[in-house]
Amino acid sequence: MTTATAQWERVLLPNIEQDQTEWLDAYVAGGGYEMARKALGMAPADIIGVVKDSGLRGRGGAGFPTGMKWGFLPQGLFPRYLAVNADESEPGTCKDRPLMEQRPHSLIEGVICSCLAIEAQQAFIYIRGEYYKAARVMQQAVEEAYAKGFLGKNIFGQQGKNVDLVVHRGAGAYICGEETALLTSLEGYRGYPKLKPPFPAVSGLYGKPTIINNVETIVDVPHILRRGADWFKSWTHERTTGMRLYSVSGHVKKPGVYELPPTVTLKDLIYDICGGIRNDHELKFVIPGGSSVPWLKPHQIDIPMSHEGVAAAGSMLGSSAVMVMDHTVCPVWAVANLSHFYHHESCGQCTPCREGSAWMHKILRRIEQGGGRMEDLDTLRDIAGEGKPGSGMISGKSICALGDAAAWPVGSALGQFHDEFVEHIEKGCCPYKNKRYWMAGGRFVNETFEKMPVL
Amino acid sequence: MPTILKDRTDEIERLAVRYPSRRSIMLPVLWMVQQQEGWISQQAMAEVADVVGTTVAEVYEVVSFYTMFQQRPVGRHHIALCDTLACAICGAMEVAEYLKTKHGIEKKKVTPDGRFSLEFVECIGACSIAPAMLVGETLHGNLTPDGIDAILAQCP
Repeated sequence: MTTATAQWERVLLPNIEQDQTEWLDAYVAGGGYEMARKALGMAPADIIGVVKDSGLRGRGGAGFPTGMKWGFLPQGLFPRYLAVNADESEPGTCKDRPLMEQRPHSLIEGVICSCLAIEAQQAFIYIRGEYYKAARVMQQAVEEAYAKGFLGKNIFGQQGKNVDLVVHRGAGAYICGEETALLTSLEGYRGYPKLKPPFPAVSGLYGKPTIINNVETIVDVPHILRRGADWFKSWTHERTTGMRLYSVSGHVKKPGVYELPPTVTLKDLIYDICGGIRNDHELKFVIPGGSSVPWLKPHQIDIPMSHEGVAAAGSMLGSSAVMVMDHTVCPVWAVANLSHFYHHESCGQCTPCREGSAWMHKILRRIEQGGGRMEDLDTLRDIAGEGKPGSGMISGKSICALGDAAAWPVGSALGQFHDEFVEHIEKGCCPYKNKRYWMAGGRFVNETFEKMPVL
Repeated sequence: MPTILKDRTDEIERLAVRYPSRRSIMLPVLWMVQQQEGWISQQAMAEVADVVGTTVAEVYEVVSFYTMFQQRPVGRHHIALCDTLACAICGAMEVAEYLKTKHGIEKKKVTPDGRFSLEFVECIGACSIAPAMLVGETLHGNLTPDGIDAILAQCP
């Protein structure tokens, strides 16, 4: 049985192809909110225990064990808050949007279970501003749940059990996906990250203990309660457990969001499940975990898509967003595009990130346009390092990880495609024929561009 | 006296009680203004400052940080076209070219009839349906020339 024909039971997004919203009645008819009722009868420590046993790790990118994070809350300090991170902004990642648009109540049930576990009475869902539909659907679903008494005071008729849930919209800032920036934004300020410690679990929203979890992480919680930690662990690769959502984009025949176990290999994901490279082109490189992680070349893709599997190949699983590039994509152009993203999204607090991301972008743009000098490569390597934590002038030298995220792809591209950078500089132009010379927002145009073959 | 927010007082107060701190209504109130007016003027910022209980400078600080808040008028249908990597390799710039040559919609400009305006934005979380754009509040993916014609035809 090949990977493509193997059938896994999909629990997070069983009917993703239909793209319909499952409203409250349908959700309850399918057994929804049973786990919220069950959690009401459980001791908070027991819920945390099950989540710890399951090995659930955050689905937002860092992969931190969820149960352990919940365990960091200081004893006896109230009120506590739960903030659900729905500011899905990492380029390539598009899994939380269908989750919220199609199964809003599974998120609300997750919020109820999680709030009961961490003894929080108020939760916030911070949805990025661009997700108009997801915010509308979530707001309507929350109102439905309030009307039924599933949210609010004395939920499910249980005296003294309160869970308030507010849907809060961001307004277009990648940095607000960083947990401390999300909290400052939620407080009504610019989304500036804060130095840790103190960690949000100790001093977070409004200075109170706060847990921040990704949408998918929260949605996993009721499933784990229903079927048990062992069920969740039945899909395991090393320390990565449970089915997860992989967002696949770029030059594959069938891009999309796929619910798969962590044992699936990147090769099977691209060639089996997504049908291979469009027009049967050659694979050039893969970004396996969202735009900030180091790139992989075709010989490196026979790896399981778990945190450990991807790390062994020298990259990171991140938000499990796979971007696939075929041989028509110029790596210098691609990294210049990404460097523009980080330059634009740097919040500007820390000099290494603010100046470094702009500097890298200017150099990359110059090389791509044909004005590069050999010494540019040394400068780039000094700034970006080798695509590893702590190397170079930015990574590890800013308050949050955006600086690292800006540096890693550049360092990695330099390492993986050094010859192509040199070729750009020696030829004084981009050697990729038929490629559009518009990049990074069309801020500059090469007069000689030819029309690209049909994509 | 507020003029822009004069009919929204009840709505704002209902919102304010949902947050432990009044300052948190900053973003929701700014969204209210933008949805009503299409953009956020200096006068609107002054009114928001009064409502939130802070200074105009602090409101401006927030407005200027978040890229979705418009500080000048936009078209009736504001188009946000993603040009980050996943969309860029799937033809986002061809979409831009098409919008310009076929429909006369140019980046950072409002069309003379006030119907459309266009902005290039960073990733909008529609990578698996690239290239994608937001027209007003609606997301459109897998864009093709014919598809774009049909989408724009529905915008009065």
